[in-house]
Amino acid sequence: MRRTFIIALSLALLSAACSSTSDIAPEDLPAPPTPTTLEEVTTIIETSGRPLVINVWASWCGPCRSEAPLISAGSLAHPDVDFIGLDVRDNPTDASKFIAEFLSDADMTHLADRSGNIPVQLGATRGVPVTFFYRSNGEQAAVHLGIIDEPTLARFLDEIDR
Amino acid sequence: MQFDLLGSAAFAVFGFWIMLRWEAKRGNAAGCALSLWDVGLMSGMAGLLIGRLVAMISVGINPLADPVQIILIRSGVSTVGATLGTLAVFTWLARKSLLDAADGIAPAALVGLAGWSAGCLATGSCLGTESALPWATALPGSTVTRHPVELYAAGAFLLAGIGLAMWKQYGRPPLGSVAGVALLAASLIRLATEPLRISLTGGPIYLYLAGALAGTALTTWSLLNKRKIAHSEKE
Repeated sequence: MRRTFIIALSLALLSAACSSTSDIAPEDLPAPPTPTTLEEVTTIIETSGRPLVINVWASWCGPCRSEAPLISAGSLAHPDVDFIGLDVRDNPTDASKFIAEFLSDADMTHLADRSGNIPVQLGATRGVPVTFFYRSNGEQAAVHLGIIDEPTLARFLDEIDR
Repeated sequence: MQFDLLGSAAFAVFGFWIMLRWEAKRGNAAGCALSLWDVGLMSGMAGLLIGRLVAMISVGINPLADPVQIILIRSGVSTVGATLGTLAVFTWLARKSLLDAADGIAPAALVGLAGWSAGCLATGSCLGTESALPWATALPGSTVTRHPVELYAAGAFLLAGIGLAMWKQYGRPPLGSVAGVALLAASLIRLATEPLRISLTGGPIYLYLAGALAGTALTTWSLLNKRKIAHSEKE
């Protein structure tokens, strides 16, 4: 009885896990992130007039995959906040696959920084993921280095979305 | 790398350990503290793993394809998965004397939860909704003062744990009633503090309501059953 239960549980876990993988045809991939510069990003921060979150990610970054669903949920839960995904040191095809797999539901715009210098200029390190939070007046409210958890993301969003 | 969650876990484990030590030869039999420690720690770790797997699968991340991500606890653990996983593993490990073990471990589990909540001091995640109360504090660089909601929860869990330990030591409660009241208290504390937390999706209120109902049922059953814990036999 116990062995049957363990086998059934393992099979359920296995099938649930395997069902999450998806192969996406190249023609169905979303557009890759648009290349950008520090000046463009700074202009967005200073002139958007809306609270802003910049999430720095890369397709080669394992923790970014774990974090992406949370960022996606945050973008949907706070429609008054602009979300920008800043893809760093990445290639366009891999970035498109990442967006398709992990951020397809997110209400956010993706930009690309091939050099990876923009986050450093904005006050972070070269590590990813990083999340910047800006108030509607362009003031930086917080910088979170590393994976962000749900309470922290919710709290910082509450802080800038007012 | 981020290790502040380990700080939070350390608070929890320390709370659990110190309460088991305090209860040894008081509310609990002298020899059982070590086995309760093993069972509790094993159940908690297994519950954490189950909660992480549930969280990964629920957002479409394949744990078999990305096994390394299982250890990225910070990026999400399902509260429902972790809670039910912990209870299931504990039930299985302590199946030979489930109610004795549950009563033995309940106050320490509450103090462990107090430690986990107080661990917000290590992770910097104590604050909740906006408040103008004198003790409300603001995030660095902010003027918005907030409830230190996790510290409220920590205080309530600590008081509940100590209260239950005292009841067990001096009140000689019926078998199962300590575990029942602990389950009820933990659920009510989470229910009471949930409105003060900020979250994207809201807490699992139905889990806390189910916990409160189960705790009430177990307590009622044990009080009606009137089977006293035989301290002398344990010792």
